[in-house]
Amino acid sequence: MTYLSRRSILRGSLAAAAARPFVGPHIAKAAATTASVWFAQGFVQDEDVSLRKAVAEYEKQSGNKIELSITPFAPERQKIIAALTSGVVPDVMANNPGEIVQIYGWQDRWVDVSDVVETQKSQLSETAVVSGQAYNNVTKKVGQYGVPIRSAVVPCHIWRPLVEKAGFKIEDIPKTWDAYFDFFKKVQDNLRKQGERKVYGLGFQVTANGVDPYNLFMAFLLAYGGQNIVTKDGKLHLDDPKVKEAAIKATAYLGGAYRDGYVPPSAINWNDADDNNAFHAKLMVMDVDGTLSTEVAVKEKHPDWYFKDMVTHGIGYPTDNAGKPIPAIVGVTQLLIPKGAKNVTVAKEFMKYFVQPKVVGEFVELGLGRWLPVMPSLAKSPFWQDPKDPHLRGYVQMGLLGPTVPDYYVFNLAMAEVRSQHVWSMAMIDVAKDGVKPEVAVEKAFKRTEEIFAKYKKA
Amino acid sequence: MNGASFVDISRPAIRRRTLARSLRGTLKGGEYTWALAFVVPYIAVFIAFVAYPVVYGLWMGSEASLYRELFADPIYQSTVVNTVLYLALGVNVKMFLALLLSGFFMRPGWWMKALLLIFVLPWAVPQISTFISIHWMLNGEWGFLNNVLYGLFHVEGPHWLNDRWSALGAVIVAHIWKWTPFWTLILLAGRMAIPLEIRDTAKVDGATGMRGFVHITFPLLANLYLICTLLSTIFLLGDFNAVTFVSGGGPANQGHVLATIGIRNAFDLAQPRLGVAAVMSALPLVIPLVIILMRKLRAAEVQL
Repeated sequence: MTYLSRRSILRGSLAAAAARPFVGPHIAKAAATTASVWFAQGFVQDEDVSLRKAVAEYEKQSGNKIELSITPFAPERQKIIAALTSGVVPDVMANNPGEIVQIYGWQDRWVDVSDVVETQKSQLSETAVVSGQAYNNVTKKVGQYGVPIRSAVVPCHIWRPLVEKAGFKIEDIPKTWDAYFDFFKKVQDNLRKQGERKVYGLGFQVTANGVDPYNLFMAFLLAYGGQNIVTKDGKLHLDDPKVKEAAIKATAYLGGAYRDGYVPPSAINWNDADDNNAFHAKLMVMDVDGTLSTEVAVKEKHPDWYFKDMVTHGIGYPTDNAGKPIPAIVGVTQLLIPKGAKNVTVAKEFMKYFVQPKVVGEFVELGLGRWLPVMPSLAKSPFWQDPKDPHLRGYVQMGLLGPTVPDYYVFNLAMAEVRSQHVWSMAMIDVAKDGVKPEVAVEKAFKRTEEIFAKYKKA
Repeated sequence: MNGASFVDISRPAIRRRTLARSLRGTLKGGEYTWALAFVVPYIAVFIAFVAYPVVYGLWMGSEASLYRELFADPIYQSTVVNTVLYLALGVNVKMFLALLLSGFFMRPGWWMKALLLIFVLPWAVPQISTFISIHWMLNGEWGFLNNVLYGLFHVEGPHWLNDRWSALGAVIVAHIWKWTPFWTLILLAGRMAIPLEIRDTAKVDGATGMRGFVHITFPLLANLYLICTLLSTIFLLGDFNAVTFVSGGGPANQGHVLATIGIRNAFDLAQPRLGVAAVMSALPLVIPLVIILMRKLRAAEVQL
């Protein structure tokens, strides 16, 4: 039996230290062909399966190794912010939250990937490409930091059985904005007369959590003519009477619907998944919510819901009150390489592989179509044009083939902070809960918006 | 005094030898090396996991502009009020209840032990799932509480989590419910440590019931009670779970406390430094608490 002595421990330590240079080269060689990739977990398992498949095929073709880390959505946001703060970063990450492209682009924290985007630029939609750009406050230039791989818009989701129970048909739903949403108030009134105590007409996220309330407000702002709130040059136009009028109307409608009892009272505390859950529980007749997560989440378990009972208004999305189509605001998932990444070469190689139409197209399709492709040519595939599917054609029409605009924080980073600070939410809630006049609530929101924009003055 | 016999300890060589001797203590030769080998990992762990994070946190929250931004934020202002209320009510009501209940559980009998077992269950079950359950119970539309109210009295209950004060009240009640058993057990152990002779002697002298509590039990428990209260205050200042999972810091961010607003600022607003600053702003309260706690723990006359 061998006993450990001080000498034997020291001898062992010296031997291990001496062996280190011979072990080292293998690790170094592995690092040269390995890239770490961080991605947010999907709402349905199929999304993760499609990602793993794409990664596995890249590994097979390239011989490189991808260390894939899939983390649930909210913790991944924290992981990314923590990584960027500490400087211990992966080689590739997707933008979660979406606005980090612009937030950290401002701070010169991303590697330029225009060479990657260039390989597929003719295929990508302009909105997708622009969404990956950010103003760099160090170089004083706009850079291409994101490689677009998928996108989403905010369609309307409706329960057909509840509309019919109220004595209406889906075809009865008006086409113009105010009339469209007023219709669901009538549906609620009729359902209440039939003794439905806890069904609400409208699933508005009048809350100060998550990204949904901002998306909802912006949809209403655009519908009322406030498109120019921030122009492409990044300038804020709160003094534009049209913008102000649109903001007041949006606040009045959204806050008023809550105040008048047409929105579930718990909506004031909802987070991003809560409206989906409430919709599945048939707490409300309709919901305005980003992506097709509401539908694809139940496709396997409740195919009758997916194919018969749920209606998605992408094609049927209302026009403005004058009958003109409203551009859809598109959120785009981008692949990014943070500065400090150990293996930029493999990271870029992986991105070039991933953004190929065949690969990225299959990636969104295997994910059940919760997310949209970023290349208009992919919208023509049998998957997206399947006549048997009640949701996909309308969704892709709304978010890819119809008129679209990138989210406004792409034009000015300040809008990202307006979103995260829930400036519009506070205006809606002031009206909804505290009975503040919409004009007063909007004045307060505009003041806060101006303060935030003042922080991000371009030199 | 002879100048030649005077040892000048301010000379560097002598100072080094004196320091080395004081570090070595009575250890000799190899013992000293082994002692170092055992101590170094602890020092390394302390530096890596205690000193470095604290210094890094202080560095992150060191800019004055962060605090200007923080104090100008109306959400932060309401957060400070909430934190004070949460501490004042959450800690004191809970500790007072624990003090009373620890007396109750001193009663003899097997059924008292069985009751104690049931009583500690809220503390024993995982806290996140229980807080989420409370959140669901309080849901205005389909929550258990309002459904019971409607089922029994045909009354539409209030939306508990939609009002700042009732939401904060729900958080405080949830915290008290969850942690009272733990502190009750601590105070019960304290009561049980009071020698039986003291109590019996006091009884002979007529100190029974409330008089016995006021003149015998409480004075003997006072130090323990104070230490528990200080510890509980420090724990509660960093409590994230009750607020996050019961009210979510709502409605409309009006229900946050310092621990949750820090997370919000760091990750929801993607401003980690502002998040650290929010947490750091609790230091003027935490540091005196820790100092008082340390002094109490070092007190010469430890009662229990």
